[in-house]
This record gives sequence, structure tokens and C-alpha cells, in this order.
Amino acid sequence: MNTVPLALLVGLTAPLASEKIDFSREVLPILSENCFHCHGPDARSRKAGLRLDTKEGAFRVRRGRSILVPGKSGQSELIRRIVSHDESEQMPPPDSNRKLTPKQIDILAKWVDQGAVWSQHWAFVPLPAQVPIPAVKQSSWPRGTIDRFILARLEQHGLAPSPEADRATWLRRVTLDLTGLPPTLAELDAFLNDRSPEAYETVVDRLLASPRFGERLASDWLDLARYADTHGYQHDRYRAMWPYRDWVIRAFNRNQPFDEFLTWQLAGDLLPNATKEQRLATAFNRLHMQNEEGGIVEEEFRVAYVVDRVNTMGTAFLGLTLECSRCHDHKYDPISMKDFYGLFAFFQNIDEAGQTPYFTPAMAVPTLLLSTEAQDAELARLARKIADKEAELRRLRDDAATKSAYEGWLARGSGAKEIPGLVGAFSFEDWKNNQIGNSANAKQPGRTHDSPRPIPGKVGQAGELSGENGFEFPGIGHFSRSDPFTLALWVKPPKHVPRAVVVHHSKAPVDAGSRGYELLLEDGRVAFGLHHMWPGNSLKVRTRQPLTTNAWTHVTATYDGSSRASGVRLFLDGKAVEVDVIRDGLWKDITYFDSGGEPNLTIGYRFRDVGFKGGAVDEFHVYSRQLTEVEAARLAGAEEPEQGLFELFFATEYEPARQLVTELQRLRAEQNRLINPIPEIMVMQELPQPKPAHVLKRGAYDALGESVTMATPAALPPFPQGVPRNRLGLAHWLTQPDHPLTARVTVNRFWQQMFGTGLVETSDNFGATGSPPTHPELLDWLARDFLEQGWNVKRLLKQLALSATYRQSAKVTPELLAKDPFNHLLTRGPARRLTAEMLRDQALFVSGLLVEKQGGPSVYPYQPAGLWNEAMGRPHYPQSKGADLYRRSLYTFWKRTVPHPQMTTFDAADRSVCSARRLTTSTPLQALALLNDPQLVEAARFLGQRLLTEGGATTAERVAWAFCLVTGRKATAKEVEVLVQLFDEQKAEFDREATSAEKLLTVGASRSHRVKQPTELAAAASVALAILNHDGAVYRR
Amino acid sequence: MSILSRSQTHPFSTSGDLSPIINRRLFLRSAGLSLGSLALSHLLHADQPRGTPGVLAKPHHPPKAKRIIYLFMAGGPSQLDLFDHKPLLNKMNGQDLPDSVRKGQRLTGMSAFQAQLPLAGSIFKFSRHGQCGATVSELLPHTAKMVDDLCFVKSCYTEAINHDPAITFVQTGSQLAGRPSMGAWLSYGLGSLNENLPAFVVLISKDRTEQGLYSRLWGNGFLPSTHQGVQFRSDKDAVLYLANPEGVSRSSRRKLLDRLGELNRLQAEQEGDPEILSRVEQYEMAYRMQTSVPEVMDLSKEPESVYELYGSEAKKPGTFAANCLLARRLAQRNVRFIQLYHPGWDHHGGLPSGIRRQASDVDRACYGLIQDLKRTGLLDDTLVVWGGEFGRTNYSQGKLTATDYGRDHHPRCFTMWFAGGGFRPGLTYGSTDDFGYNITAHPVHVHDLQATILHQLGIDHEKLTYKFQGRYYRLTDVHGEVVRPVLA
Repeated sequence: MNTVPLALLVGLTAPLASEKIDFSREVLPILSENCFHCHGPDARSRKAGLRLDTKEGAFRVRRGRSILVPGKSGQSELIRRIVSHDESEQMPPPDSNRKLTPKQIDILAKWVDQGAVWSQHWAFVPLPAQVPIPAVKQSSWPRGTIDRFILARLEQHGLAPSPEADRATWLRRVTLDLTGLPPTLAELDAFLNDRSPEAYETVVDRLLASPRFGERLASDWLDLARYADTHGYQHDRYRAMWPYRDWVIRAFNRNQPFDEFLTWQLAGDLLPNATKEQRLATAFNRLHMQNEEGGIVEEEFRVAYVVDRVNTMGTAFLGLTLECSRCHDHKYDPISMKDFYGLFAFFQNIDEAGQTPYFTPAMAVPTLLLSTEAQDAELARLARKIADKEAELRRLRDDAATKSAYEGWLARGSGAKEIPGLVGAFSFEDWKNNQIGNSANAKQPGRTHDSPRPIPGKVGQAGELSGENGFEFPGIGHFSRSDPFTLALWVKPPKHVPRAVVVHHSKAPVDAGSRGYELLLEDGRVAFGLHHMWPGNSLKVRTRQPLTTNAWTHVTATYDGSSRASGVRLFLDGKAVEVDVIRDGLWKDITYFDSGGEPNLTIGYRFRDVGFKGGAVDEFHVYSRQLTEVEAARLAGAEEPEQGLFELFFATEYEPARQLVTELQRLRAEQNRLINPIPEIMVMQELPQPKPAHVLKRGAYDALGESVTMATPAALPPFPQGVPRNRLGLAHWLTQPDHPLTARVTVNRFWQQMFGTGLVETSDNFGATGSPPTHPELLDWLARDFLEQGWNVKRLLKQLALSATYRQSAKVTPELLAKDPFNHLLTRGPARRLTAEMLRDQALFVSGLLVEKQGGPSVYPYQPAGLWNEAMGRPHYPQSKGADLYRRSLYTFWKRTVPHPQMTTFDAADRSVCSARRLTTSTPLQALALLNDPQLVEAARFLGQRLLTEGGATTAERVAWAFCLVTGRKATAKEVEVLVQLFDEQKAEFDREATSAEKLLTVGASRSHRVKQPTELAAAASVALAILNHDGAVYRR
Repeated sequence: MSILSRSQTHPFSTSGDLSPIINRRLFLRSAGLSLGSLALSHLLHADQPRGTPGVLAKPHHPPKAKRIIYLFMAGGPSQLDLFDHKPLLNKMNGQDLPDSVRKGQRLTGMSAFQAQLPLAGSIFKFSRHGQCGATVSELLPHTAKMVDDLCFVKSCYTEAINHDPAITFVQTGSQLAGRPSMGAWLSYGLGSLNENLPAFVVLISKDRTEQGLYSRLWGNGFLPSTHQGVQFRSDKDAVLYLANPEGVSRSSRRKLLDRLGELNRLQAEQEGDPEILSRVEQYEMAYRMQTSVPEVMDLSKEPESVYELYGSEAKKPGTFAANCLLARRLAQRNVRFIQLYHPGWDHHGGLPSGIRRQASDVDRACYGLIQDLKRTGLLDDTLVVWGGEFGRTNYSQGKLTATDYGRDHHPRCFTMWFAGGGFRPGLTYGSTDDFGYNITAHPVHVHDLQATILHQLGIDHEKLTYKFQGRYYRLTDVHGEVVRPVLA
């Protein structure tokens, strides 16, 4: 039913009858489209064991029948089957939903008759070192090499290029294409008056040097990068990713070589001595959606994120639909599942979580601190001071004076004293009316939650737990990461389970990123953790030995306030034990400083977690200092190690040391206060050890198949020697000079930027089912040239902008429409509708409202009230005030669940996933938006005001001035006449209803100048609105 | 037919009619050329009130329904408290869900860590109703009155266990964002039957936003944005930017459009691009929508007898009841796909009081809608679908008490109902085990539901496809079977 458009394309670009059929461009697309589904690379769905995607398969001879007999279509089984009318033999089978057109059959037959020359799919053929430049007859037309390729093709088809567009048209075209804004009248005048031979080049150089250039290119790049300002799921919360957007703008503006641009984004963190900016660029890999929905299976989404990274890399740099090989071998392209997961292995080696927290605004780890230079300096200063203080403390330990003081103390008798720093002591003896007495502070008792059971304990009475009940200790233990503290208690586990929460000070595990501190039993091993955001901003250690089940063990966990794993010690029955460091990367606070208050210190259970089911606890103590070994032993009733006495003295009795510890803690707290409010951006940060990778059967997160390691697809060039096997190596692989895809895909997209359509129309798919290039040699030449010139983007765009091809008029005649309906042969200049961003930006620009501030947090221009009301949590749309209402649309806040209607109405990309091209549609909703959106109406008001004040003396002069300002060309006499009529009619309408003009003049936040005649201004605004809706404004031709 | 036949149509002709085949091809091309030319034929001239053709020249087989009203109960209504009566759960109330029933089925992280999974019998009374004897709980007394018009499927199941992927799955056939919604597929395949209204209209209950909805749920995905669902709001502007700016009268707008049209026609003569004229037509449709949309949204002329059907809630703009009445009005005007959302069914805790509120929101309104469709003869060729994105667990999430419990997400079974559109009225299809946990007969996967719904509109779900990035996509991915036994 669905006619395949490919037939049209092949028809269009097919050479003349006498010419040789090109296998890669003409035959392979037909085979892949119609045959590969059952006879392609995917072994599992292959029918009759026949594959037509390899030469070997296609030339198979079986039972005396040859699929292909070179030179003899009549004897070729393939041809026989495709022309057969016998339903049992016919190919593709009648029920396959596929059918060859007579033209396609003709091409295949001709190709066989011409010798059935087999070759690779064009896009996998290595980029040739040199591309011959074709000869042309009309040698005066080409202005550069590009034009020779275009013209040669036209001449083959007996066609001629269109005449050159007039200067004004070209100026508007190139200005919009390179900066996203139209030219000013002054720029138009200057260009029209510049009769020098370099006039065009002068314009292009000016545009490429404009800071608007980076903004224009970033608009397109952000579609590929699936940039948005929110996470995309559920509450769809804010993420501060805009510094990445600003980096993209800067990178384009400074003309960063594209290979470097690519490398920084894929692997900036892996560059030697990576700078902050290089690490920032890796945010590219983290712009996928992030789920915060409570109860999701984390691994399911972690896998989804990694898959998204692979797909994005595939579309953006390889132009391949890698995602097809997630669940099975690719049906059309030589990409196996193993290839897919080999790439997957590159992109998963970061310490991330599958769910973003609900209870805290912490950014999904790993992150980069978005500190200012001043903050960086201050942080560095504090780090030095802390290091100095720590060194001082170490020196003091070995100081002779210390030694002698210690000896004096020993001599005076070091007998057991009360352990200082006690803030909570709960023996569970004083347990009445759900209240648990605190012998350290009677005013802060604990309480029970959901009826834990009193049982005989280690000492007197203890509490037994169900897994969902326990004890809470309000007001106690709100420690920060810079506070030393100690937890101690007796525990009795019933059996070993993977996870049991014993003590914690947090709101939830996953739903809070485990923010806080916790003491868990993991398969019986004591694990103690301090977390800002698990796992990337966390500290966690675990004992090597499990506890004995059904017996009491005394557990003490001490922490020194250093935010280092080495600052944690675990004691079992009073003895320090060996621990494994699970995480050692805590650098922000463990308190809920940014999220509405501290939780209660709790024993036994936690929100959406596994409690201490069947366990018992006794004698719970909390200290606001790091206890020493002697003290831990004392609490456990164990023998106090004599060698620990110095530590005890140093920590509790020696004033100089206590003073240093206090100073150290003050410095750490200061550092903590400084760093906590600084926002973070999600970036890549490679783990020291890669995570194990597997093929995931059917693409399912929990169906692990064969093990894989980081590898590039087998059908593409081999991984280069001498580069690391990680994302940096992958970037090297992508940018090696004969890679068949990267440069082709890239130049094609820049071509698309200038011409509306790529030489390969499917700029997102260079695979077998994508469109073949309309000008394959030109594509190769451009790619090779681009590479040789150092991946120079501005130079490439300049070549395109100055080409005779680009300078053609876009006017269409019936003859052109007949011969080249889709302009694949470039018989004329490219015409297209302005993008969503350009339409709004142009209106702001011509009205004088545009505020050209570059970069910064996204802004909230007008949008209809209530749009965010359907979003979860009914967030308020914080509409901007003043200048931020008038920024370029690139800076408009992109909320994924409710994108700005200006964007969705005008075909902006979805930004859920990577997108390489936008469709262009024409709908009545667009008409409504361009006529009634307050942003446009306000712009029309101000354009109307300009028209009256700057446009000249008469109505005719004024409307003509505004028309030229917006459309970049002079209005014809007839057009002026219509515009004048429009003005007069509108004025009459406003004159008829006295208040109507004033009403119109209040639309929008900016006030008009005081005017004597509001009806005149309103009429001028209406004329301006009409002009902004005119084809000459909405299209660039 | 060759593309070159396009030359047979003069590009400057004001009618702008290209042959339907060319239109479909342009449409399919999907990039490189704007789709306005398609819209040319898409748009119906006032004097030619026919429909906008879809990509299918004609349906694959004779359709039983022309349009759909989809009543989406977002959040996942508890089948165990509404339709799927399980006395065993009351008998075993408070006992742990046996592993033999759970069979290792994954749970969400919300209840997976519970020390206990206590079975929770519904506290609501169930009885059999109508000639067909369908089971409905006391929560839905009005629904109970019309069971003989409904077809219940108690054996629906899905793959997703969380809201976002699950709703996305029901709406687009994929758990991942980015695919077209069912309404967009129908607009694409069958086109519109009304020249003044969009083919795919979305109505959302106001003030029920516990569970968020996202515009991508009614998005066009990779299809042209022409097929996007258009949300009609109960606010001042029913459609975004519908009203003229303050101070601009209809007559002054008319004059502006006349002059703008004149200018654009001059431009078309210069540039020769038929796209320009297609845009002029879009402006005309926009102008018509400025009256047709307020007209359909204006319930003031509905007689009191109608409100007796839907209940007085229908007088409050933005309620589910008002949206049901609007749905009937849109159906009368031949809108192809009318998507209602009523969120608020996500009862993890406090289910009894939560579901009472929800049930009273929808019960009378659904009844009114079905009666109204019957009364107006529309039920014959309108398919009404009622259901959520998954079911709820038979055990309590959180504490189970004599009067209170919660239920977590349960993808393994849930109940939906269908009315009209060739579904068998009075049928109850499929069944679950006595625990209400697993399906025991006739499982119906989400893709099967989608295949069946498309089937009733005359579409072979395997044949309505769109090529994107080299692959033919369809609503049902590579799955789905038409559930023939539920069809009359």
C-alpha cells in the first residue's frame, strides 16, 4: 500500500538509458528495501538460507539454479522471481507488504545484463583519497569545485542551472542560513552598493564572524544532542545543562575544528589533563531523558540511558540506525547485536544511577561543578588550608612536646573516664508509651514506629524489628560531612540477606539518592556510607567478614569529618576490622540543605527499602566526635588495647590537638558551605575499571547474553592501533582520515543547513535503506576536502554560500517542477520555511525588541496560561520579565513534557531523542500562532511603530519600508498598493470602534511610545503583522 | 504513475489540487519538501465539504467504526475494586501473596522491599448486572445499568510496570518516547472527515493532575506534525492562539486575511511555488476554526435533558463529564479520534477513598456518553474505549487495615471495556485466577488491543506503516493480533 518513495528518487537520479547502472546507488537500495528483511544480515529472520546483502550470498548456486547470472537476466533466479506472477514463487511474496515497481525491475534486469557488478554499499566504501572533478561544458557558470559537480549532473540530464538570484534574495538567504536572523536594511544597502568583486565574500566573512553564527549552528546541533532543560519523565524537573549549550555556541563561534568538537563531546574527560571545558563538553552524552518515577527498576533505565548514548553517537556521527541492532541483528545494515553491545560497552563506564532522586534536587551523577573562577580559586585556597592543617596535626602527633605530655598523662593515670561527645544514649530499658528514654539528654527521647517488640537484650531489654517498624530519634544526629561522629550499638541479625537497613539518617535510598548516612548489613557485612548522591558522590566502606547470625555483636562506626573513606573506621566487638572501600568520592553535603529539612535518625526500616527484618538492636549510642579504638572497646565491654591509649590521649585530653581538630573542622565546614550551593552539570567521568558488558538478549536489561568488550562494528574500519580502548579511542576511530562515514555524514548535515535537504536526504540514515546521495562524488569530494582542511566548518560553509549552486534563484517554473520536482538535481536555489526559532527571532529582530545577550540560563517567554497545568505537580510557568522576554528562541526553556508551543507548532524536533532533521509542515495552527501569539502581535506593534517613525512620510513609503525590512526585498508597485489598502482598511476598522486600537496596543509587556493617533499605530501594527505572515517573511527563498 | 505527472497540474492554479497519489507520495517523502502541498488537498474548501484524505486511498477492509472516543483512565484503575471480583482475596485477607501465584513476577521498587505482601480483598460489594450478568462493583452504579451495551475484556496485560512507559506503550505501541500516538496514526492513515476541525482532538480533565500527562502522549512522533493531537481546553482559548488579539474584530481580521492572501498570490506568481497557495488555504482554515471550535465547545445550547444523562457535573467546564459531552459533539462533527484523559487513578495508598472519588467522576458521565451516542445513532459507528495503562496488585502496598489499603502497579492483568464500533455488546472476555493476579484465559496484549481497534476502523495494523530512518514503523511494532472473539 505504501508506495515507496525510493522509487521516485531512483527514477529521478537514474542515469540515462545508455548509462551503466550504479550498483551501490541504484541496485542495493532496491534489494535492501525489498529483500533484506528476509534475506539480509539478520540470520534469525533469514529465509531459505539465502542472503542478498553479500556478494557470496547473491551469487549462490543451488540445485543448478543461480541467483544471478552476470549478463543474463533471463537465467537469473532473482529476476525470474521478481517478475513471476505465480503467487507461490513471486518475490517479494504477496503477503509481504512489499512490491517492486516496473522501473525497479527494469533497473535490476539491466544491472544483471550489464554484468551484475557487485560492490559495497556506498556509505561503507572508504573515503577516497582523491575525487576526480568532472568536466563541464558551460565552463563560465561554476564559481568553485562544488558547482562543477552540480553542473556536470545537470548537463547529463540536458538541464541548465537557474539564473542567479538577485542580490537581495541571496543576502536574506545567506544571512538566515548562517546567523538565523534576516539582514538589516543597512546591510542590504551596503551589499547592493558594494560593486567590488569581493562583495559576496565580504558578506559571508562578516556573517561567519558574527556571534550570531554560533547561535544559529547551535540550534541545529542541539536537536542532535537532544538538548532540553528538564529530565523528561514524571515531574520533569529542571536540569542545569545550559552551560553545555553555551559551550556549543562558543565552539562554533571560535570555529573549533569539527574532529576536536566531536572528540571533546564524546571523550573530553579522557583527554590528558582534561580542562573543565573539555569535561563540560561530555554533557553531550548525558542529555538523554532521566527517570525519577518512584519504583522503577533502576537497571532498566540505566541500560536505557546507555542505549540512548549509543544511538545518539550512531545518528550524529555515523549516520546509522544502530538502535535497530539493540534487540536483533540489523535487518538492513551489517551491524550485529554484538556490534551494538560492543559500542554499548564504551558508554556505560560511569558511576551513575538509573533513577534521579525525588526528595532532593541533586543532579544525576557523575557531575561537574559549575563553579565560577572566583569560586574555583576560593575552593583551591580552602583545599590548601585544609591540607596544611592536616599536616600540622600529623606533625603534632610526632612532636616531642606531645610525647612528653602523653607520658605525663600516662603517669597521672589514664583510668577509664566517661567518653565525651555523647549526644544520644538509648538503652531501651526506659521504654514507655512508645517513647524511648535518652540518658544523654532526657529532653530528646526516641520513639517507636509501628510497634517494635521489646525482648530480652544484650543488656536488659532490647528491641526486635519486623523490617517495617523501628525507632526514630528526632533532633539527634543531624551531622554534616564535615562533622566527626560515631554510631555504636549491639545488633543481632537473624540471617544473612543481601540488604538490611539497621541505622540511617536519610529520606530514602533511590528516591533520595541515599542522601545522608547509613549503617547497613549487606550479606551480613557491616556497610557504612555517607552520601550526597549515590553512587557518584558517595563514600562507603564495608567489613570483609560477616557478622555471626543469631548472636549479639557490638558495632561501632566512626567518622572524622574528612569526606574520605580513610576517615571511616568500623569496629566489631570493640576491635577495628579490615574494610573494603566501596566508594570514595564524597564532595558535597550529606544533609538536606537544599530540600526541606532533615529526616529523623532511624533504626530498623526505611522508605522503599529492606528493613532489619527479624533483627534486634540494643544500647544505641550517638557521639558528636570520632571515637578512638579504646573507646570503642570500652563500649563493647572488650579489652582496651594499650597501644590505643595515645590515640585516646591525643583525641580527648591534649588541648593543642583538640584545638587543631576544631580548626580543621571549621575549615571543612567553610568549604562545605561554599561548595554546596554551586550547581552541577551531568558529564562523563570514566570509572577506573570498565563495567562488565554483555549482549542483552532481546534488548532486555535483565537478559544477559554473551560477554562483550569495547569494540567498534566489524563491518567498519578496524579500531586503530595505539589508542586507548575507551571513548577517546572511539573518537580517534571516528575521525581517522579514511573513515567512510564521519566526514560524509558531517558535510552532508552542513549541506542540509544551507540547502534545506542533504545530498543524502536521509541525513539520519546512511545505511542501506537511507536515500542514496544525489551527488555521490560531490559528497566524497566535500568530505575529503573538509578533512584535508582540518575539519574547518566555517571554511566549508563559506564554500557552500559562495557557490553558484547556492546563488541560484529559487523560482520554480512548471518545467522545473516537471523535470526536478524535489530539486534533487539542484536546478534551482533552495527555498524553505523558516525554522521555529527563526520565525520568532526574526519578528523580534525587525521590531527592534530582540535582546542579544548570549548564553546563560534558559528564559521563559510568553506562553498561553495554564499550559503547564497538565504537567505533573502543576508547576508554575515563571514567565520572564523585561529583557528575557525578548531573547533568541534558542534560549527558550525546553520543558520536555510541555515544550513551548511555538516550537511544537513549527516542527521543532522532539528533543526526547537525537534528531538530525526536521520536517516542514503547514497547518492552520501555524497560521493562528503567527497571527495571534502575543509575541508576534507585540513585535508587530513595535514594527508598526518603527514603520511610522522611520518609514518615511507617506503611507506608501512606510509600508514599502516595512516590507523591505522584513522580506529583504523591495515591494512592487502592486504590492505597495495592496499594503496601502490594508493600512487604510485597518485604520477604518479601528476608527469605527474607539477602544479597539488601544486594546491592541496593550498586547505584550512593552509599552509603545505615546502616540497621538492610536488608530494609526494600530493600523500600522496590523500591516506589520500581515507582513510578518507574508510568504516573504515566513520563507527564505 | 510517475511523479512527473505533477506537471499536468498547473502549479499556479488556485484550486491547487494535485492528484491524490502525488499527495500521498509527497506526504510519504517526509522531508526535503514541505508538506503544504499535501495540506492543499487536506484542506477542504468551504464549498466542498468532504474529508481530508489519509495516506490510505481506502480502508483495507470495510470499517465497523468511523471514529474513536478513547476514555483514558490515567494512573491505572484497580480492576479488583471495579470489575474483577475476587472473593478469595477477602477470604485470605492479610495473608501473604503466595510465591506460587507471584511466580517471580517483578514488582515496582515501591512495594518490592515490603516485608510482607498482604492480600487485600476489595471492601466494595460486587453484583451481577444486566442480561449478560457482567460483574460490576457498587462504585459504578451507572455503568452497571448499561453492561449489556459494553464488552469487557478482563485479560488485558502490558509489559511496562511504571506509568510513563506504560501510558506511552498503550498510546504509541512502544515504551520509549518518540513514536506517534494512536490518534496520529489514524489521522495519517484515514485523514479527517471534517474540514473545520482537526482529525485528532484531546480533552483532559481539569484538576486531576496527580499523575502527569505529557504532550508527547498525543504527539505525532516521526509523522508530520499535521497529525498531532490538538488539545481543546476549557480555558478562554480552546485551541492555542485561537482568538484574535484584543481589539481585532472578526471583520478586520477578514480584511487582513484578504489582503494577505492577495499579497501571497502575487508572491506565488513570482516564485511559482505551489506551497504559497497551500499556506493561504491554511490561513483560511484557521479563520474557519475561529468559529467552528468555539461552536463545538459551546455547551449552552444543549438541552436540559442531555444534562440529565451526563449529570450536572457536565455543566462545569473541564470536568470529565463535560468532556464526555464534548466528545459526543466532536463525534457528531466527525472528528476521527477523540482522546479523553482522566488522571487520578494511581492509588498506592488510601485506595478506598481515592477510587470513590474517581469512580464518581466518571461513572455517570460514561453512562451519559453511551446513552447519548445511542440516542443519536452514533454508537453504531463510534468505538468507545475505556481503560488505563495497567492494573493494580492484589496485595496491599503499605498497611492493610479493615477499611484502608493501597495497591501497587500490576501489569499482568487489567480490565478494559469497549462499546459500539462493532465490539460484541454484553460480552465478558478473558479471565484471571482466583487471586486476580495471573490471566487464566484469553490473554490480550496491548498490541492486540491496538490491532483490534485499528481493525474496527478498517485498517490492517500490519499495513499502516511509515518509513522513518530506513525502517517501516507501525503502531503495533512487529506484534499484535486482532482479537476476533470480541467482535460482533
